[in-house]
Amino acid sequence: MARIELRNLNKFFGAVQAVKNLTFTIEDGEFVVFVGPSGCGKTTTLRMIAGFEDPSSGEIRIDGKVVNDLEPRDRGLGMVFQSHALFPHKNVAQNIEFGLRMKKMPPAERVKRVREVAEMVRIFHLLDKMPGQCSGGESQRVALARTLVTNPSTFLLDEPLSSLDAKLRRELRAECDRLHQVLKRTFIYVTHDQEEAMTLADRIVVMHQGEVVQIGSPLDIYSNPVSYFVADFFGSPSMNLVAGEVMRESGGARFRSPSIELALPANLAGAKPGAASLGIRPEHVAVTRNGSASATLPVRLVEPLGKDTLLYFDDGSERAFVAVTEGLSMADVAVGARLGLVLAPERLHLFGADGRRVGAG
Amino acid sequence: MAMTKSQRRRASTIVRYAALSVWALIAFFPIYWMISTSFKPSSEWFSWPPIYFPHPATLNNYLNVWFGAQEYAKDQYSISSQKPLISLMNTTVIATTSTFLSVLFGAILAYGVSRYKILSETRMFQLLMLRMIPPIVVVAPLSLYYTAIGLNDTRTGLILVYFLTTLPYAVWMTKSFIDEVPREIEQAAEILGASRWRTIFEVVLPLIRSGLVATFLFILILTWSEYLLALIITKTHVTTLPIELSKYQGSTEGRVYGRQAALAVGITIPLMIVGLIIRKHLARGFSFGMVRR
Repeated sequence: MARIELRNLNKFFGAVQAVKNLTFTIEDGEFVVFVGPSGCGKTTTLRMIAGFEDPSSGEIRIDGKVVNDLEPRDRGLGMVFQSHALFPHKNVAQNIEFGLRMKKMPPAERVKRVREVAEMVRIFHLLDKMPGQCSGGESQRVALARTLVTNPSTFLLDEPLSSLDAKLRRELRAECDRLHQVLKRTFIYVTHDQEEAMTLADRIVVMHQGEVVQIGSPLDIYSNPVSYFVADFFGSPSMNLVAGEVMRESGGARFRSPSIELALPANLAGAKPGAASLGIRPEHVAVTRNGSASATLPVRLVEPLGKDTLLYFDDGSERAFVAVTEGLSMADVAVGARLGLVLAPERLHLFGADGRRVGAG
Repeated sequence: MAMTKSQRRRASTIVRYAALSVWALIAFFPIYWMISTSFKPSSEWFSWPPIYFPHPATLNNYLNVWFGAQEYAKDQYSISSQKPLISLMNTTVIATTSTFLSVLFGAILAYGVSRYKILSETRMFQLLMLRMIPPIVVVAPLSLYYTAIGLNDTRTGLILVYFLTTLPYAVWMTKSFIDEVPREIEQAAEILGASRWRTIFEVVLPLIRSGLVATFLFILILTWSEYLLALIITKTHVTTLPIELSKYQGSTEGRVYGRQAALAVGITIPLMIVGLIIRKHLARGFSFGMVRR
């Protein structure tokens, strides 16, 4: 059981403020992912929860109890490190057993627990090996087992998969998910990989420059990003964001950029005139060979992926405007061909000059 | 005619080995000369042209030096006033105790410096600077000071001064090993429930074991062969082997090369034995940090 509350948490390293006034609560049993680019303060926050960093100000509570002054070992947490941090001079079984020995568990019981956990994360065959003999994926499983065996109330995972290759990452991601469902413990997971965040989290905490930008379910964050930053960070391929300006006209507003011009739908009609960015996810852009369209742009690149085809259009800016079309019907489009684009009006996002979404709550 | 690639490679190998062989000859000649002289009868100590292989080889030098056996001293160079076995014991006790203290306290200090920055960069450099003071500068005041507190001519006195003078090396060397231990490994132990001391003894020290052994040997060599401080601080009571060695080349005894060489061989052997016993750690210790983990 662990409900973790952060209240007005700040952390300075010298003059640099790494974490700015965080306040939020992680509910018991929740899988929360801190995500953001490197240097956004997510790892620092996790390390403050673990007790390896002292907050400069603010409170950390676990189940209502302030733990700021508790040593890491007295907080009842388990942590998996990015580097796995296995003890290189102990074999796998001794590594897993370490936490139990510290708790002064009798030897017979220790052996039993180690075996159980080793079964659970499927590393039984590794027990006699040294960490140096294990592959990256195996080491990470051992690190998980070593944490698991101490039965912590909360699992803190600091970019646990970042040192692994793509296939292993997917495999261990599923493993984390499975463990969370079996154990029903609180998981706090730090990553810079938006895909990991989307697939694992019950709730995502998006951080940027030490601040929380948005907290919400993956779906919520994906569909209703509160800012340009969040919109840009989530999704692969990422959201199309076109710089332009908003102009008032009778009965509404128009968005105009060098390549795209359209009347803003009613929900965005209140936008203030001036510089703004228009956002739309690639899957909400329809491509027509003929027919009315919001814009007509030349194709820069065609990526047939099988299930669908990505079309990259040249909209005059450095990054291409991307559209996803189903199947391979567009795979034969020639580079340079001009095609019409229809942007689903109800899917449009508009971000003001300050980066905030127009009309966001 | 231009050489092919493999010829060039072979030529460069030959040059390299030739250079190394010359270097090895220069390095090993004194050792060879010491061993050779230790088996020479007195008639061959000074002979010119020099004699490279003693003929006839004799054990007299060893027997006379180490056991003071008069019956083996068939020449005018017999030495009976020295106490090499006692000196050997003194040196063993003094060198190992001071080295042990130095490495122990050095490692603890280094841990503090590495993890808690208890000494700034400047302080650490100042610590090393202490070693740059020529010992001769401090021996006179040290001797006076030791007389005042009654540490002259005692083992404790020498242990203390060796411990303190080698501590900077110990701190610097062990710190570099501790720096190599990733913080995350310690933190993993910590969050699994280990106390700070437990972490140090179960995780940090075992990980830098090879480094500690390398540091130990390095400092042992220094204290084992230290001469100047021993010369000033010890008088008659406590002599160490380097002091003993110098007695064979004095105004009263003359130059007793054979005996001196026999003693020198005896002084060298224990260090070599220690080196052999721990050579597995040495290679690892001295190359620590150069290997990717």
